[in-house]
Amino acid sequence: MRVTAMKTTLLSILLIPGLAITQQALAQQNAASADGEQVGSAAGDTWAKYNVTQSWELGYRFASIGGNEGKYRSDVNYRDGVRLLGSSLAIHSLDGHGHWFDEITLITAGLGNDPYQSATFRIQKNRLYRYDMLWRSNDYFNPGLTVASGEHLEDTTHRWQDHELTLFPQSAFRIHAGYGRRTENGPTLTTEQEFNSQGDPFPIFQNSREQYNEYRLGFDAKVKAFRLTVQRRWEYFREDLAGSVTVPEAGTGPALLTGFQSIGPYRGRTPGWMGNLIGEYKWVVMNARATYTGGTGDFVQNETAVGTDRFGNAQNLQVAVSGTGNRPVLTGDFSMTLFPSSRLSVINNSSVADTRMDGNNGFLETANFFNFYTVNFQFLGIRLFTNSTDVRYRVSKKFDVFGGYRYADRLIRSIEDTGSAGSPLSGVSAEQSNHTSAGVAGINWLPLTGLRMHVEGELGYNDNPFTPISLKDYHAIRARTQYRRKSVSFGAGYQENYNNNSIVVTSYSSHARSYSADASWTAKPGMSFDASYSKLHLDTIGGIAFFAGAPFPSLVTGLDSIYVSNIHALNVGVRFAVAARADLYLGYSLTKDTGDGRSELAAQSTPAAQVFYNVQTFPLTYQTPLIRLSVRISEKLRWNAGYQYYGYHEEFGLLAQDQNYRANTGYTSLLWAF
Amino acid sequence: MRMAANPRPSAALNGKRRQADTRLAARRRLELCLRALCGFAYLLAVAQSGLTQTPQPVNHFIGSDQCGLCHVDVYKSFYRNPHYKSIAAGNTPPDKTGCEGCHGPGERHMAAGGGKDTIAAFSQMTPTQMTDTCLGCHSKDFSRANIRRSAHTEADVVCTNCHSIHGSPTPKFLLAKKQTELCYGCHAPIRAQFSMPVKHRVNEGVVQCTDCHNPHGNFAPSWRTGTGSNLVTASHDNEEPCLKCHVDKRGPFVYEHASVRVEGCTACHMPHGSTNAKLLRRPVVFTVCLECHNGAGTFGRENQGVVIQSASHNILDPKYQQCTLCHVRIHGSNSDPTFLR
Repeated sequence: MRVTAMKTTLLSILLIPGLAITQQALAQQNAASADGEQVGSAAGDTWAKYNVTQSWELGYRFASIGGNEGKYRSDVNYRDGVRLLGSSLAIHSLDGHGHWFDEITLITAGLGNDPYQSATFRIQKNRLYRYDMLWRSNDYFNPGLTVASGEHLEDTTHRWQDHELTLFPQSAFRIHAGYGRRTENGPTLTTEQEFNSQGDPFPIFQNSREQYNEYRLGFDAKVKAFRLTVQRRWEYFREDLAGSVTVPEAGTGPALLTGFQSIGPYRGRTPGWMGNLIGEYKWVVMNARATYTGGTGDFVQNETAVGTDRFGNAQNLQVAVSGTGNRPVLTGDFSMTLFPSSRLSVINNSSVADTRMDGNNGFLETANFFNFYTVNFQFLGIRLFTNSTDVRYRVSKKFDVFGGYRYADRLIRSIEDTGSAGSPLSGVSAEQSNHTSAGVAGINWLPLTGLRMHVEGELGYNDNPFTPISLKDYHAIRARTQYRRKSVSFGAGYQENYNNNSIVVTSYSSHARSYSADASWTAKPGMSFDASYSKLHLDTIGGIAFFAGAPFPSLVTGLDSIYVSNIHALNVGVRFAVAARADLYLGYSLTKDTGDGRSELAAQSTPAAQVFYNVQTFPLTYQTPLIRLSVRISEKLRWNAGYQYYGYHEEFGLLAQDQNYRANTGYTSLLWAF
Repeated sequence: MRMAANPRPSAALNGKRRQADTRLAARRRLELCLRALCGFAYLLAVAQSGLTQTPQPVNHFIGSDQCGLCHVDVYKSFYRNPHYKSIAAGNTPPDKTGCEGCHGPGERHMAAGGGKDTIAAFSQMTPTQMTDTCLGCHSKDFSRANIRRSAHTEADVVCTNCHSIHGSPTPKFLLAKKQTELCYGCHAPIRAQFSMPVKHRVNEGVVQCTDCHNPHGNFAPSWRTGTGSNLVTASHDNEEPCLKCHVDKRGPFVYEHASVRVEGCTACHMPHGSTNAKLLRRPVVFTVCLECHNGAGTFGRENQGVVIQSASHNILDPKYQQCTLCHVRIHGSNSDPTFLR
């Protein structure tokens, strides 16, 4: 997978996400300050009773990759080709009384096979209608790391679109209709244990097509101090495996698979209702919401496998499963905000969510004409009730304090049943409840003009956490200060999350801290500087138990899973105008995990200890310097070019494949705007 | 004598008279008290008004056209502003339209030749006043149902921190900057996460912060224990926003991976960005699994500890270090209780 594809381009350089280019293009239409804020009157041409502004940026993008191209395509994935890097069109009626419309806005980015493409469109006529469309596409490699020890194998395409129509958008009664669609095409992993559950595993990738369609219809009505929102929704999901697998397939053992075919259509539907009522009157604001969704999924899975098992015996195996899964969900929320005085506010919120998941299937396995059939059933129910009260008191114009208390009561019921006699899961039924109590307190302070400080802390306890890594005894601290004046701003922040989930046999604790600082300075209209630095520190330790040893693995306890991460992240950008004719932007982004500071992997006392020692930390460096240049050729025409380098380097190859790569990417383009 | 011979009527009459006198006296006392109270209240009100109010000339609405005489740069491009709709409508009350819909009546401001003391200037308002001014019109939209108790409001982050009413460079929502830059302005560690090698494509423009978060507040989530909101957007049934795109992980499945439903996606994944493949919390998958599946305590679905791995799984064998090599349907399966197919 080590590929080096040095390619040249006729023109110069590039890369920056297309959307940013669009933003740049938008800003260039107007007298723009260095921070992108639009000032002054809008530009554009006047056509009839409309103002029209538009920009089109057409260019060529290139990428030259060295090292692991698969990893590059998983992380970045910019490729060669001609692109409509960005475009925008805005039409506004001058008096707000257009004949058919008052506004049209179209913005695109990356069209022409960029891995990241998007388009947004809006058309509206005041008081009559508003239509919004969003389309996005993302192509990327889906890393098969867990099966391929570091290889990046398959391409995946993810597309979204959403349409929303609102009738009478400024009236007291509005009608909403919408449609959303998501599709994903790419590999789905199926690993077959042939020819029994203890057989040799055969990782098999099959292409799957997933499609999700959503239809929405609803209204909202305002009556005096209330607004009622009602929405009906229908969602449909389907998943299909495409094609059969070429044989023979390489397995990880002596067994041989000479034929394999699998189909697994899944059809899901989730109709739902939502109602929301907001009311407010002077000193009280209330909101009530109720939803119900009834998810159902029907499925069939049919697999046939032909070959020889690890002992050389001919095998003919078929597995057929069919059944239904259900998940009705009922939720309700009610919140009340009281303002006893202009300084004091009290907010109470209660919510309940009742989720019931049950499913059954018929499982038929035919091995060399010997049938094995079971009917299985499972149930998992989660009922969650939460209540929170927040009080806020504004001591003065520049200082306020707040505090709150959160309470949660969760009940989990479980039934796992199977018709297979002697199954360890047969007839198991369990119930558990747990409660979370947490207190929050904090202040907001404006000690000086432009200077603001925020500090808050949370302390919580859960009496019966669901998993060993769930929150049990935990606290969090969040603090941020920011100083902002017209041309300069500074900020600094600290955040800490600590959780200790300790029991007698094993324990888990996680301690995450992040420190950040940022600065922004607009020295003059044509020059600005932005920088931010963050240090993300995480250390966790958790008790583990596993089996190790050959030929008969034995239970190992007493070891801990430790993970230490020290990530330093830096983002710097400088933008300045050159001779009032060109804009230059220099940027640098660095992510460096120094891990626990080790320089090499030391030998451990046992092989098992070595396995876990090697993965206690994952030091790496990922850096992306970039430069962009925009030159004004004429009033309406600009030439843009950019270059960005991507460098990825792991200190220790935890995975069998070398992941490191470096990539030189760039673009050049012409931007026409008026 | 007659009267003495007939004392009862006299006594009864006297009694009635006494009762009538008593009722009359009580009524007079009540009237007196009420008059006194009213008088006191009137005097108090007069005194209060005298203490707290100085006589002011009536401040009238003058219309946005008058504002445009001085604030030319704002007024000239205001037809592109969504708030212009209220002016174009022509029938909106003056306190709900144009410049004065937010800044209040402008007559005194104009008479004084400008000045921040004569108009409702946002730069002079407290954060609460700014929020209240905007919510005067925008409070009843469903997407802002929880704005009063949102983390942003608690931290005094108000509308104008993110929205530029007069000079927005973005085509929608009057954002003061491009959305990512806006959010990064305060959330620098999040910028760091989205700059990592494995991340959701926010910097590339294909994913936006608001795909997963509602900056105006959220309903209580249904996963974990409903606490720690992080302003996440929940769909109708309060499920995680991840499932809006990763719909194949949604199910329902016959065999649910209980921790996915109870604790949510973030039990195993870092949603913003990570140095690890698949946005996992650990660089290798087996530590992710083993930190829960250790059989200890009363954790798990049956209160007996999260089930430990099979005794046939020799962790020294590389294939058993890749748990999802075989447990391919780890988010939920319709065919196998251990997520093998």
